[in-house]
Amino acid sequence: MGDYVWFHDYSWHPVYSVYFFVVGILAGLSFLSYGSWLIPALRPLREKAAYGSLGLLVIGGLLLIADLSQPLRFLNVLNPAYLQFTSPLAWGALNIVAFGVFSLLYILELQKKREAALGKILAMITALLGLGLPIYTGYDLTVHQSRPMWNTPIMPVLFVALAIASGSAVGSLLAGKNQDAQRVLREFMLWSAAAVGIVLVGMLGTTSYGGSAEELTFLILTTGTMGLIFVGVGIIAGTAAPIALLFYAHLRERTTGLAFAAILILIGSAALRYALLMGPQELQTLY
Amino acid sequence: MSEELRVSPIETRGKTCVKRYAMVIDVRRCIGCLACQVACKAEYDTPLGVNRTWVPYRVVGKYPNVKKQFLPRLCNHCDDPPCVRNCPVGATFKVEDGGFVLQRYERCIGCRSCMAACPYNARFMLPSHRTYTPITNVVDKCTFCFHRVNENLVPACVQTCIGRARVFGDLNDPNSEVSYLVAKNATQVLRPEQGTKPHVFYIGADRNQTEFARDAYHRPEVMELERAAFKRHFKI
Repeated sequence: MGDYVWFHDYSWHPVYSVYFFVVGILAGLSFLSYGSWLIPALRPLREKAAYGSLGLLVIGGLLLIADLSQPLRFLNVLNPAYLQFTSPLAWGALNIVAFGVFSLLYILELQKKREAALGKILAMITALLGLGLPIYTGYDLTVHQSRPMWNTPIMPVLFVALAIASGSAVGSLLAGKNQDAQRVLREFMLWSAAAVGIVLVGMLGTTSYGGSAEELTFLILTTGTMGLIFVGVGIIAGTAAPIALLFYAHLRERTTGLAFAAILILIGSAALRYALLMGPQELQTLY
Repeated sequence: MSEELRVSPIETRGKTCVKRYAMVIDVRRCIGCLACQVACKAEYDTPLGVNRTWVPYRVVGKYPNVKKQFLPRLCNHCDDPPCVRNCPVGATFKVEDGGFVLQRYERCIGCRSCMAACPYNARFMLPSHRTYTPITNVVDKCTFCFHRVNENLVPACVQTCIGRARVFGDLNDPNSEVSYLVAKNATQVLRPEQGTKPHVFYIGADRNQTEFARDAYHRPEVMELERAAFKRHFKI
């Protein structure tokens, strides 16, 4: 003891994890809206998912701007003279703007209340741009190779799986008693939550076998308050429990069971994003 | 220096006609007086709670044979800086002639991407309450005293170091003192595995301080208590 440690501030604060959560849901909803053109059972969700996605984009955008210490300079990111494409944030900013534009065009087309091919094309473009959002947020962490847990290349894959899980969970809550839609959404939630679980087990396993920084990050993520959030809420309550619930849900109990599983997935995915953002930063603040 | 080691176009290792400034810190000569920290604070009016250079220490040995090991820290002005790659608006950049990694305050949006990218925690957010300057709420860092070096002066911390633990100069000049020290002594850089090619070299540094294991043996709860006390002390 008697050491003098200079404690550094966290680079990214918890509001960023709320942004990750919101972006994941809106991307998942854009997938569902496009899915409704391919899977008839999801047709009742088409408009709800599209409106929800655009609404969450506004909230997410405001969160992102508010998180900057110079909020009024957010336009710098869209200034071609300043943009630097070596940063994933630059790509992310362009992706968000493009997603917003195509979401708006898609909603304008939906308001014409016709089943035209243009709507399907716009839905597809919006969904593809939506896919870019969890990929860029995951990539945003992955490029920081000095941070254990963040530095895994499968982080964007995890974020895509989380986006499908949380988007399907919101879709399931929106679908209500529509049994056909719930049957499809149950499959989406089950397999995306399973993918999240597999990726997390892989990430935790490799982190625990790493060097001193990795071992310490593993310790931070699995003990104390952060352990409760990451392992307790994120992995056990938010991933394993809904998988079990979805797997064993009987047909007659499907709506209630699915709603409960959907809420657990949402709570779990929020906890996972918080822990994945804050946990690996904690060690660095001591260096 | 071998030119083959230059893997990124931004690197200036061994490049002709450009300077590559570096600092050598001989920790055997550091007495922990913190004069460097004070000189830096005076030079830049750095606010409370943040530092461009700081001197953490570790107490080693067993009573009565104990001693403090110091490890002066600052921006490493990496030859291949990850903060420059990560800035979305080019607010941080590297000066090719000299290797200074600098910040454009008027362009910084405060996304803290550079802070997250820096393996050395050398960057910090300037608080909103500053008395003598309007530069607030943007990321700041050590500049290797760019303005002083341009006037043929050494950085403020080097100028003031009473034990002459800090030495500054051009690594691309084979006759400079830093070239001599790096060539003739066993030197270390912080976290070499990150491939950043730092320009701060340490002589006699202890692995317990240069690696993450420095604070490994505290339980997370203990670290949190210490962090809370630190924040209370500095009102941050």
